[in-house]
Amino acid sequence: MRSLLVGIIAAVLFSQPLSAYIHFNITERGQSIVVKWQRMPVRWFAKNSGVPGVTASDFQASVSRAFATWQAVPTASISFQFAGFTGAEPSDEDGISVLGFQSNPGMDRVLGATGFIVDVTTGEIIESDIFFNSIFPWSTSAAGDPLRFDLESVAVHEIGHFLGLGHSALGETEVDSTGDRRVLASGAVMFPISFGRGVTRDRELQPDDIAGVSALYPDGDFESDTGVVRGRVSRNGVGVVGAHVIAFNPETGHLIAAFTLTRNGDFEIAGLTPGPHIIRVEPLDDGDIGSFFDASDPIDVAFRVAFHDRLAVAPRGGAGDAISVAVQPK
Amino acid sequence: MNCQAALAALMVLAASAGSVYAQAAVDRPVRRIEADAGAGILGGGGLGSADANLRRNDPVRQTFRLFATSSDVGRAPLWLVRVAFPLSRRFAIEGALTKATPDVRVAATSDFEGAPSITTTETIDQYFIDASVLIMLDELRIGTRAVPFAAAGGGYLRQLHEGQRLVEQGEVYHVGGGIKYWLLTRNAGTVRSAGLRADARAYFLRGGISFDDRPRSHVAISGSVFVGF
Repeated sequence: MRSLLVGIIAAVLFSQPLSAYIHFNITERGQSIVVKWQRMPVRWFAKNSGVPGVTASDFQASVSRAFATWQAVPTASISFQFAGFTGAEPSDEDGISVLGFQSNPGMDRVLGATGFIVDVTTGEIIESDIFFNSIFPWSTSAAGDPLRFDLESVAVHEIGHFLGLGHSALGETEVDSTGDRRVLASGAVMFPISFGRGVTRDRELQPDDIAGVSALYPDGDFESDTGVVRGRVSRNGVGVVGAHVIAFNPETGHLIAAFTLTRNGDFEIAGLTPGPHIIRVEPLDDGDIGSFFDASDPIDVAFRVAFHDRLAVAPRGGAGDAISVAVQPK
Repeated sequence: MNCQAALAALMVLAASAGSVYAQAAVDRPVRRIEADAGAGILGGGGLGSADANLRRNDPVRQTFRLFATSSDVGRAPLWLVRVAFPLSRRFAIEGALTKATPDVRVAATSDFEGAPSITTTETIDQYFIDASVLIMLDELRIGTRAVPFAAAGGGYLRQLHEGQRLVEQGEVYHVGGGIKYWLLTRNAGTVRSAGLRADARAYFLRGGISFDDRPRSHVAISGSVFVGF
């Protein structure tokens, strides 16, 4: 009998918090296990009811486009299959993956969320449901509706979670007069805070998203054609946990990032176009830490943004020499 | 100047040079192998600029600059070895291997969150493996032993990033000239000639390390010692 773990991943928040990329992991008997689908195609159902302005058919068409966006990543081996409409709720634990609208006034800043049932012995996703909060106005207009949130954009983000991706911190925010956080800009669909109403830019995956999903479901020559930069971030000689490390390729303009995920401050950024990269390290200060890590993780945000003083070369099909970045306290 | 124009200029120069040799010119060997080794300076050049952009939160597709970068390759010493074969008193062909170890520098500035500006670097190993045609300009001879020449050619560019685990390849073309000064010429023995050579060249690189896909130009000057066998 399989032992199952049910988890809810809050995904996109509205004007308040809710990369590289983080892959979901579970720890079983001291071993870290990556959470992912292990059988393709992944079958999904659409809930058979809509909301004002979006019929069930509109919903299915928009979400299908979002699935197709991920499936089109040439360096990732993933495929999806629409299995039909259903009366089941996204919150039901019923062995089928359902996407649909639900009203959840209690989550008044959450546009959508993704939940999982996972085999904790293998990390295989058994079921994943996505709900879109119907307390918000939604649009499936091709050009976007300035008064409504773009369903396809939010669906692309949530399907990233559905695949096992966590949040990316590639973005900049500001805190407004009410204390809410607003996105100024982002460099990844998997940034935890949604763009505003009428903005459709998250329909298109960014290099950080593509690197993340390709590292999780590598296809073809992805691993042999891309490179890795790894290293360590320290402050006063002590490893920094939760530092956001960005690799910028001046030739491609791509930004791909990761976090230091160990107490030693180690990081690894995979899926890089081979070549030299500028490495920039910043504290996780553009979103709630809880959007990225467990509350128990000792995330260090008390240091200044810094660049590494050497270019970090990502060789083709492997990792370059490990780099060491020392940051200064704020 | 593009490569075709450079070659055309060289051909015009060769055609107009005539074929009259001064009676007192040094009797340099023809159809004998000549080896050459030397050193010099390879000039730097720009590699382009790029912004690290995010997507701005607005319906209009504007960018948001996280930070800016500009890149160049620095000036560096070069070492070279050449093997030449004079086909006649006028023309020679030669192959050369040139190595330099310049720094690739990328300046990161204007960071949105105020990170101090910095110039990040890596030191690369750069090789030119090329072939040239030399045209000896006896009409412009200085004294009896110093003969100017013009040269043009092209070949293979190979660059190894720091750590030597990533290779970039491309093409290199050059045009330039210089002067050869014969210290020794004789008609017998293993060593038939020896002398000094100075070169000035403009190199044009395509491919290799480039952040904007445009050809780059570099100037190089070098001095060498040659020995003919």
